[in-house]
Amino acid sequence: MDAWADPLRISLLVAASATAACVAVGTPLAWLIARARPPVAQVLSAISLLPLVLPPTAVGYYLLWLLGRQSPTGRFLLDGLGIQLVFTWPGAALAAAVVSLPLYVRTATAGFEQLDEELLLAGRTLAGPWRVFFLVVVPLAWPALVAASLIAFARALGEFGATVVVASSIPGRTRTLPAAIYDANLAGDDRLANELSLVALLIGFVLVTLLTVALHAAIQRGRG
Amino acid sequence: MLEASFRLAKGAFVLELDLAAEPGITVLFGPSGSGKSLTLRAIAGMVEPDAGRIAVDGAAVFDRAAGISVPPHRRGFGYAGQRPALFPHLTVRQNVAFGLRDHSRAERDAVTSALLARFGLAGFEQRRVGSLSGGQAQRVALARALAPGHRVLLLDEPFSALDEALRQDLRALLNDLARERELVIIFVTHDLREAHLLADRLAVLDGGRVLQAGPRDAVFRAPSNRRVAELLGAVNVFPATVIRRDDSTLVFTADGWEGLAASWSSDPVPGQAVDVMIRPERVVMRRGAPTVNALPARIVREFDYGNSRVLHFEPDGAGPRLVVELASRPYDVLDVRSRKSWTLELPPEDLHVMPALARAAR
Repeated sequence: MDAWADPLRISLLVAASATAACVAVGTPLAWLIARARPPVAQVLSAISLLPLVLPPTAVGYYLLWLLGRQSPTGRFLLDGLGIQLVFTWPGAALAAAVVSLPLYVRTATAGFEQLDEELLLAGRTLAGPWRVFFLVVVPLAWPALVAASLIAFARALGEFGATVVVASSIPGRTRTLPAAIYDANLAGDDRLANELSLVALLIGFVLVTLLTVALHAAIQRGRG
Repeated sequence: MLEASFRLAKGAFVLELDLAAEPGITVLFGPSGSGKSLTLRAIAGMVEPDAGRIAVDGAAVFDRAAGISVPPHRRGFGYAGQRPALFPHLTVRQNVAFGLRDHSRAERDAVTSALLARFGLAGFEQRRVGSLSGGQAQRVALARALAPGHRVLLLDEPFSALDEALRQDLRALLNDLARERELVIIFVTHDLREAHLLADRLAVLDGGRVLQAGPRDAVFRAPSNRRVAELLGAVNVFPATVIRRDDSTLVFTADGWEGLAASWSSDPVPGQAVDVMIRPERVVMRRGAPTVNALPARIVREFDYGNSRVLHFEPDGAGPRLVVELASRPYDVLDVRSRKSWTLELPPEDLHVMPALARAAR
């Protein structure tokens, strides 16, 4: 049974970390896009969508360059901070986060845009922007944020191209579920490929169910 | 005293505001699209003017030239709009206390309970806002805006979604609060009756500019031009030419009919084209001939509004067409039903002369 336990554990770890990164970076970004004036909002939105239109392998290639010794950021990370991301699971998580970010930002932005303008106006005359954000915006937009997180998690779980370029597919360390399926298939191990795919299918089914519930709640919120 | 003088361009629309509001209710009256809501948003600090200054008792909360722009929650202005816009995930108490971040819990509770009691909502502290009626929700919104001790209230048609009985209650409450707390209230409305009922001072906004501002009765009685008169519901506005003028009276001719007026705006001179207005309820219907401003005319159309009749008159000879409003009782007593020819008297003190607008101006 352990043949699929390791990839599953690594996949969940990578996807959860990537989702956390999306929430941390994508939430403020989505709020900025929802509130900024026209040219700024469009530019931010376009930048945040870029990973969606690039081949994931290209995203991985750029990340590899960015994290490697060839680039200043890579040298800073390696020599300055001693952080090695290439060929590690955090590197895989970073790659998955970049690929998932556009989906998170789009969904979260849509949730923020549904908020009642009058409500935010009343809030801002009473409290500062941070207080309004955490006490009004987040509590009211949470179904959309949950939906966005689920979509990001699902995308991160299925991510193959970018993660495999950045982190490779080292058994027990960076071999995620999609990478394990690819490797099993390549090695002609039909039984393992089958098992792994079935695990992916089960997780997918659970995620789709949760997502449906969250999106429904988000739409209800928007109407209310 | 709140003073706002600024310029704000939004697309093709340009708001050039010049407004001063003393303690009491200043009604900002204007048709839709005149810039009323934008004005409030700019004063509240939600949009930034391109130039100008906004100050309370001399202290600037916004001054473009000096680089001052105080964030909305530090301006000390409360805001309530058409919809109550209460925070749906919070209780009534939490809504009212939202702006009281620097107070202890005991203080917050004391302030909110006192305010809710003042608004007739004692005991509603723990209620969810979803369970409130429209009138109750709007009261909570007003309490929330006042809770931080704000002395300036910006109200954007706050009663327009409520029915008439509730509106009357809330208007009375607002009037009382304005006196009690010496609030500076800017009240936006496009409802003429509401403007008249609430205003201490009236500012008429049109096309992004304040056309006229002043004490309510002065503005209603003596509009500065035809546009203001029409916005304020004047139906009898007719063109005329000044013949002569002395210190207290002005003689004009309108379609060959000579009239005497005792009220005017700016400085009309003989030969000048003017507009003359008289409110429909100020025209007197006589059987005999009055000594001044007599206009023989006959009724051509009638509208029955229940408590009053609106009568459209056509002059027998020279003179303007006029609309007269008559309460039901005098209508019966004078037997207007069977008598259609009358002599109208236009009391000189009710005739107001305004400089005619240049054709290009509107």
